[in-house]
Amino acid sequence: MIKLSDYEPIAGKEVVSQLYRLAEHLGKVRLVHVNSTRVGGGVAELLESIIPLWSQLGIEARWEVIEGTSYFFETTKAMHNALQGQRVNLTPAMLQHYREVNAENARKFTWEADFVVVNDPQPAFLIEDMRPQGKTWIWRCHIDVSRPDRNVWRYLRRAVSLYDASIFSMAKFSQLLPHPQYLMYPSINPLSDKNRDLTPEEVQAVFDRLGVERDKPIILQVSRFDSFKDPVGVIQAFRLARRYTPCKLVLAGGEATDDPEGARIFAEVQEAAQGEPDIQLLLLPPDSHLEINALQRGADIIVQKSIREGFGLTVTEAMWKGKPVIGGAAGGIVMQLQDYYTGFLVYSPEGCAFRIRYLLHRPEMSRRMGQKAKEFVRQHFLVTKNVRDYLTLMILSRQHGGRVVEL
Amino acid sequence: MVNVLDQEAPNSFVFSEYLLIPMPTGKKATDLRELLQFLREMPDPVLNYHLWQSRLTIAPPTLEYPNDFALWAATGLHDDLLAERLSNIDPFDYENLTQVREAMVEKLEEYLWDSPHYPQVWPGYELYLCEASAVVLHSGITARTLGEFCVALQAVGLDSVYFHFVEARRRLGDRKMDDFSRWIADNFTLPSLVTAIGEIDIYFYSLAEIRDTILALVQEQAGTTSDQTE
Repeated sequence: MIKLSDYEPIAGKEVVSQLYRLAEHLGKVRLVHVNSTRVGGGVAELLESIIPLWSQLGIEARWEVIEGTSYFFETTKAMHNALQGQRVNLTPAMLQHYREVNAENARKFTWEADFVVVNDPQPAFLIEDMRPQGKTWIWRCHIDVSRPDRNVWRYLRRAVSLYDASIFSMAKFSQLLPHPQYLMYPSINPLSDKNRDLTPEEVQAVFDRLGVERDKPIILQVSRFDSFKDPVGVIQAFRLARRYTPCKLVLAGGEATDDPEGARIFAEVQEAAQGEPDIQLLLLPPDSHLEINALQRGADIIVQKSIREGFGLTVTEAMWKGKPVIGGAAGGIVMQLQDYYTGFLVYSPEGCAFRIRYLLHRPEMSRRMGQKAKEFVRQHFLVTKNVRDYLTLMILSRQHGGRVVEL
Repeated sequence: MVNVLDQEAPNSFVFSEYLLIPMPTGKKATDLRELLQFLREMPDPVLNYHLWQSRLTIAPPTLEYPNDFALWAATGLHDDLLAERLSNIDPFDYENLTQVREAMVEKLEEYLWDSPHYPQVWPGYELYLCEASAVVLHSGITARTLGEFCVALQAVGLDSVYFHFVEARRRLGDRKMDDFSRWIADNFTLPSLVTAIGEIDIYFYSLAEIRDTILALVQEQAGTTSDQTE
């Protein structure tokens, strides 16, 4: 098991000691995180990293996952898309089933807690039936709800308004709500299989196993096969860039149990890449953390050309590997990636192609940007910062509106 | 003769940490008229955040503008003239936030009066209004000498530099006085060092650069004092 002290050489001794001091002030509390999948996707990864740290800080924490039918996950995926601004048709029957699944899960959960952190819309309505089981309820929204579909947001808002606080990843995602809202950046775990240091041999072994030859510079995008990640736009950008510099494109995507749309989008991407030997599509199982780590370390440029994004954890992961990132100017990426400093923000396949050409042509600049990117992540986006933020928030929420708490 | 870095102070400097969490309000300004309206009604914590505290969040690598309003005028509204005018409102010229607010309102009203058109932002570039909450925590790090102070200053986080230097100037209401300068003034006879630290303009340095500048000034003072004693 990863120990908190293992983070000292990476994040700094003071950072870790601060966590112990905060936890001591907080005292014994019971904390429950709830989400909708144990594997696959950024939320599950964040929870996997954070849960073992709570017990080392003397906090009794548990991770609960709601169960649902495929119809439920189709509904919540449509809801997710609508909250990110896409037009979808959510029928009354779908919404009724969504509420029923929440109610069924609520009946199964018998725990009691001082703090309950409910992640994203899937389990948001648990609070309706479980309010007395938790003293402070916090809704943690990981998605870009800056321009949500009005009807879907109005529906979800009924549940969110019942919470004592919400957390968003960007100020622009916040909404008019009757409770305090906080800003917290999602983080990565530098010691997990997805981010830990790898030897060149380990990296090569993964490339060999996945059948990816390193005969040309590699452009990589790692993300679910999801229309908001614009994999087809990445293929367009690659085709434009390759006219100038030989390179190859690897699109690697994981699968998550709460994402029924993945297979359809993957088929679309396959069609777009057909007959192109320099494009490799890798559909990886959800636990392919080591493989993703190696791919990111072995790539020359990493792209995350999302058109909507809550917070692109793959951007942070790539930066942690010292790589320059070309990211879509969407959602949290605008903040994660400092334009012209740790990478580039782009608005189109053409813009993406132009930046790919630049970085392939200027390897020294590419290396410098990568170094800055790694330091930027160290300062802002490691899991230790996330733990610190949760501890701070729990201390603050006991003060009932106090803006500055001196301990 | 004891080196100035090794002289013991009657009172130790106690480093605190300042753990800030931004709190978005859900409100956003999409053009100058909206900003003006918000400014008139804005609670003090929101004004405080956009004038001072946002420096502790993720900041652009180079600090072009001294407050969020000026930065937004430049990057959101693409109005460099307005950005320059808002940059020159120095909160230290006023006794309290109410007066700062009045000065900004006056500046915006004057600007809108003179402008036949007023710019609007592209979607996504609105000014999202925030406030913040903070926990102030004892770091467990203290310094009895200037030598220990230098070691400690390198060990503590940038939030600590913010609290003792930037936030302290706001708290003490003096653009040239902060917790570090006050401790040095109260415990050592080094008026030139106190003056030099007081003259650091917080708007032209990142927090890391402020730390490096203070360290360099202390080291320089130690060198000067040792030259004088030789």
